[in-house]
Amino acid sequence: MNSVTLPSNQVVLRSLLRADFTTQWRNRKSFILILIVPVIILISWKGLVDKFGGAFILGNCITVGLTAIGLMGYSNSIARDREKGIFQRLRVSPVAPGSIMVSRLCVQMAMILLMTTAVFFGGYYFDGITLSATSYFLGYLSAFVGGWLYLGLGQMVVGLIRNAETVHSTSRLIYFVFIMVGMFGELGVLGKQIGDLVKWSPYGSVNRILASSFKPGGWDQTSFLALGVTVGYALIFSALGIRWFRWNASK
Amino acid sequence: MDQPVLEVTGLTIRYGSFEAVKGVTFSVNAGEIFGLLGPNGAGKTSTLSAVEGLLLPAAGRIVVGGNDTIKHPRQARANMGVQLQATSFQPELTVREIIRLYAGIYGVNLSNENLQEILTSIKLKDDGAKRFGQLSGGQQQRVSLVIAMIHQPPLVLLDEPTTGLDPQSRRQLWERMEYLRGRGHGILLTTHSMEEAEAVCDRLAIIDHGQIVVTGTPAGLIESNRDRQEVIQASRRGKITLEDVFIGLTGQEIRS
Repeated sequence: MNSVTLPSNQVVLRSLLRADFTTQWRNRKSFILILIVPVIILISWKGLVDKFGGAFILGNCITVGLTAIGLMGYSNSIARDREKGIFQRLRVSPVAPGSIMVSRLCVQMAMILLMTTAVFFGGYYFDGITLSATSYFLGYLSAFVGGWLYLGLGQMVVGLIRNAETVHSTSRLIYFVFIMVGMFGELGVLGKQIGDLVKWSPYGSVNRILASSFKPGGWDQTSFLALGVTVGYALIFSALGIRWFRWNASK
Repeated sequence: MDQPVLEVTGLTIRYGSFEAVKGVTFSVNAGEIFGLLGPNGAGKTSTLSAVEGLLLPAAGRIVVGGNDTIKHPRQARANMGVQLQATSFQPELTVREIIRLYAGIYGVNLSNENLQEILTSIKLKDDGAKRFGQLSGGQQQRVSLVIAMIHQPPLVLLDEPTTGLDPQSRRQLWERMEYLRGRGHGILLTTHSMEEAEAVCDRLAIIDHGQIVVTGTPAGLIESNRDRQEVIQASRRGKITLEDVFIGLTGQEIRS
């Protein structure tokens, strides 16, 4: 019997990507939910566009979408596949663990791209918000930076918690707290102290860099500070998430 | 039978201060079905996990198809096909998509005709578009085995492959194993079924408390242990079976 040679990383990654995108497409319910929630908020906040400005509204909606992708989509899919032993099956094959994660992250990046496009389209169609080409471009870039933060947060949740059900309920709770405190704190409904806290929270910092990207001329010191804070959060969450992560669900 | 496709030498596995596997040594030759038997918690799964590269041994050496699993883990894994105890593929994917995924992972170029031939060979010619979760237990096991074999590896690891299968499916799987043996593949099989071990294994090792208690052919083990007092006590119908030898050597108490 002859020795088997290793396949190229490119071929392996292509196979993983095809399977992961197909899986995402077949999970259309969660896929549509992630896209539709920010658009519904966009429609319901139509009356606030004049008061807060289109950039602020778009920033908030994209932040809500990014939170859903990181906490509801990514963390739950990883926890489920880990519990079902899908990762174990892949790990006994010659796939490098990095390739498995790169493929999963590519799917989430595509989701970020889709969700951001849906918000831009909804913003234009429902709320009449138009931006320059540069703003749209910078908006996509900021969405990816913000997405990194929330994917890192999702990674931290699956790193800390092994049980898929507990991951599911915890990520839902964090999502709810982030959205409620973040959105209403930013709007000033929860008082000045909470508002100040939210400003530098993962929600507030991502929202700020997004809003600043939509008005490139308005990038100021606070925007750069928010970018630094976002990258800092993203680095910490990802590093801890990767460090704590275990490929199998059993203790 | 010729050169070994798997060599395990002095394998030691620790979980904290607990030593689950203590200096285990065995080999599996090409064209041989080697059974690893043991009660629950004896060290079978830990040994198998170390061979699969899922566990890092505290000491010892594992070589698969000439590749050290620590120095060249990916190369070693490319030289083995694994059927895990619990079948574990994305439930959203169809049988065809799962086979394609693993063909890609092992670098096997699969044409539509090849894929159809594979499906026909496992009697799933018309079920390629079904999702994996829609298949019966026996069908899932057949898919799992065909994926383990898709790259024609020298070594095949089968972890309790017949658990939960009906007698027909079990017999079919045994025939499949014998077919693979005939084509020169070495098979490492773990099982709780003494009937299965006796029926298909060329050689087997009984492992208990992390150590190999005995190694030999099924008939040889029965013959060399038939006069032991513990084995005679374990015998239920006068005739000594492999199960009597197993219970005689590993004890009567139930393990967790």
